[in-house]
Amino acid sequence: MIEVSGLTKRFGSVQALSDVSFKVERGQIVGFLGANGAGKTTTMDIMCGCIGADSGSAKIAGYDIMEQPLEAKKRLGYLPDIAPLHTEMRVADYITFAARLHKVPNSQLVKQVDETLDRLSLGDVRHRLVGNLSKGYRQRVALAQAIVHNPDVLVLDEPTEGLDPNQILHIRELIKSLAGQHTIILSSHILSEVQNTCDRIIIIHNGTVVQQGSVEELASQAQSGRVYRLRVARNVDQLLPVLGAIGQIVAPRLVDKVSGELEFGLVKGADEHVVDEVSKLVVNGGYGLRELALRAHSLEDVFFQLTH
Amino acid sequence: MSAIFTIAWRDIRATFASPKGCAIFFFFLGFMGTFFYNFLHTFVDMTQRAPMYGGEVPTLEQLLKALFYNLHFILVLIIPAVTMSSFSEERRNQTIRLLQTSPVTATQIVLGKFLATAAILALVLACSAVYPFFIKAFGNPDGSLILTSYLGIFLLMCAQLAFGLWVSSMTTNQFMAFLFTMFGLFLLLILNWLAPSFNSGGVFETVLKYIASTDHLDVFFKGMLTVNDVAYFVCFAALFLFFTNVVLDSQRWR
Repeated sequence: MIEVSGLTKRFGSVQALSDVSFKVERGQIVGFLGANGAGKTTTMDIMCGCIGADSGSAKIAGYDIMEQPLEAKKRLGYLPDIAPLHTEMRVADYITFAARLHKVPNSQLVKQVDETLDRLSLGDVRHRLVGNLSKGYRQRVALAQAIVHNPDVLVLDEPTEGLDPNQILHIRELIKSLAGQHTIILSSHILSEVQNTCDRIIIIHNGTVVQQGSVEELASQAQSGRVYRLRVARNVDQLLPVLGAIGQIVAPRLVDKVSGELEFGLVKGADEHVVDEVSKLVVNGGYGLRELALRAHSLEDVFFQLTH
Repeated sequence: MSAIFTIAWRDIRATFASPKGCAIFFFFLGFMGTFFYNFLHTFVDMTQRAPMYGGEVPTLEQLLKALFYNLHFILVLIIPAVTMSSFSEERRNQTIRLLQTSPVTATQIVLGKFLATAAILALVLACSAVYPFFIKAFGNPDGSLILTSYLGIFLLMCAQLAFGLWVSSMTTNQFMAFLFTMFGLFLLLILNWLAPSFNSGGVFETVLKYIASTDHLDVFFKGMLTVNDVAYFVCFAALFLFFTNVVLDSQRWR
């Protein structure tokens, strides 16, 4: 449904994107994850035909955004990072305007606008001025603008940015309810958000795609090299070389000498019985075992490893 | 076509939803009313004095001409105020993204914006017609002269709007758009007088004088309609609308 290949973009001396490629299948929700300034918005702007790429192409529902922009844009709903709201318009008028621009036939105009307003629970504020709404409502109006014409592809740039936790939850539910009939790509720099809503994740860093796959794939990748945290009562620096001598343990490292904390990793595919050995060694050696735990693994680790 | 009207209609409504629309009417008609009062006063004064001093009695056509010349000055001030926000405000607020990601072409956006500003000013012009028609009601000036003058002013206004839109499309700063548009329009107004100092009697002077809007407008004010002068304004407007289109389209591949 979305096919991006070899996008390159340079702003002056800054290389914003270099060879960004990915595909999104019909009906999927894909998370576009990256730190601030990683190139998320640039990619989305190019995908939606706001700015041009130096090289590469983006196809929406089979139509190239540069070659056949009208056909591609008919099938596209875009929520930019800065919501394109006309603050002097009333909510219903604004959504009607967006629908008209997206060639919704006159016969369906009223029905589709009403449905969209209901769907986003904007019925109560339909006669209010957009400029007088709170941030959460404004974001919903902006989302309504993107979905009013029932596009095949929805591109959402940081849809929950700047909202309070309740509103974030609400928008998230909304996005989930939109899945299936729409193909959605949403960007975020918050991992938990993407983890909760998306089927697949694309991680972008410094303008290149560093990793992509399903949430499970990326999580299991994090699991493969387990890291344990160990805290002992005394002689932590003597323990370090002893630990290193045990097979299947890699990179033992002192975290904090005063509190006696250290970390060690297991080689890929290592037997968990090694942990027994470690605890025996600590107890029998009189180091005084205080804590031995698996460091919580999440996508956070993958993200951290890939972007540092 | 419907996309052009959708864009134009939104812009027209937005203008009148803010005090901006009222301000345009207020200043335009206020200026014009003041000038009208002044000119009429002078006119009556001169008519009364003429027999005493043996001068010529001024004609109503001269009064109308003075009024229309002033319209040109007022437009130089008003046009930049109308066009400055057209693109620069949308670009600054990023609302232009909505247009850019909609299935509409750059040409449709430009024509929509042009139509909106032209409609607003046509409405102001229509209101300003109260002054010439006042003269018509109480005197007997050449009626066709009023009509051709208004056509001339309307064409001039379209040309100025196209220029203003082009300037507005190149900046995100409304103030800069206002300043540069006003400077450009003012230059166009005085080019006729400046021309001789650049190249007196030469080809360059002729060219400059042709580019200036004043001589072409004079023809309309005399009650004449020529293909040459209509074509001048139409080409002027078309050229700058084309430039605006290029600027807007270039954002897609720049």
